[in-house]
Amino acid sequence: MKNIDESDIHSFVNAVSGFFLQVTEEKVEIRSAYLVEDGIKPTTFELTSYITLSGNYTGRIYFSAPRALIAHLLLMMQEPDRSEERLLDAVGEIANTISGNARKHFGEAMEVTVPVTQATKPDWLEKTVSPRSYAILVKWKQYRASVIVDIQTIE
Amino acid sequence: MMKKEFTLLIVDDSAIIRSRIARILSDPRLGFIRMTGMAKNGMDAITQFMQQTPDIVTMDITMPEMDGVECTEKMIAFSPNCSILVISALSDKATALKTLKKGARGFLYKPFTDEELIAAFLELVHS
Repeated sequence: MKNIDESDIHSFVNAVSGFFLQVTEEKVEIRSAYLVEDGIKPTTFELTSYITLSGNYTGRIYFSAPRALIAHLLLMMQEPDRSEERLLDAVGEIANTISGNARKHFGEAMEVTVPVTQATKPDWLEKTVSPRSYAILVKWKQYRASVIVDIQTIE
Repeated sequence: MMKKEFTLLIVDDSAIIRSRIARILSDPRLGFIRMTGMAKNGMDAITQFMQQTPDIVTMDITMPEMDGVECTEKMIAFSPNCSILVISALSDKATALKTLKKGARGFLYKPFTDEELIAAFLELVHS
């Protein structure tokens, strides 16, 4: 498994931050980054999207956020439709941006899928992610969100 | 002499991105662009493209059913004068080069600001 280093973590945070900065002119703050290990669960919120990796990598990159954050984001994007479908679409677009940045950072040997989005099921992520995945908590306005990085290299 | 009106097809699997591009078109500087359709995947895009033969296409890359690279290639084969502006979160050089080789005329990285998209459209029609 590839060891994620500080520059890798920054590439994911920068992607989220860049998305919010471009769309809302406000950055996100990093609150914490930690390893998901026994007894330490990934922090998730109501809506989650993920990108599946292939090529020289395997795993997923997740973005999870509360509905209120995404609704606020759509408001700032002047999107009049704030239905569940649009909220999920926006969460997927953020995951898409994160994966695009990841491909730039890790190289074109990292292939990415279209985002899958869903209302987060209880305990789903902690059962899905590999041990020693990274969880990065960010804050935008008064809201928190998380990026969970579960990447392994294929030898 | 520059054409008075350019027709546009928006291709993106994200509804909020399609809606955002359509909203930005209301900027007075882009009054010469008229949107003729929106497609949410490559197959849908090709069908609409054949019917409308738009002057400009905004093209996402990562889409279900047919990706933007293949879609660009098919559109240029059908209508070589069409101007395709790729708008993608895939910000690596290899992806940009791949689409440019297939005939795309411009590349804009997601996320983008309103001003960046307006500038990209203006550059596309003046080039």
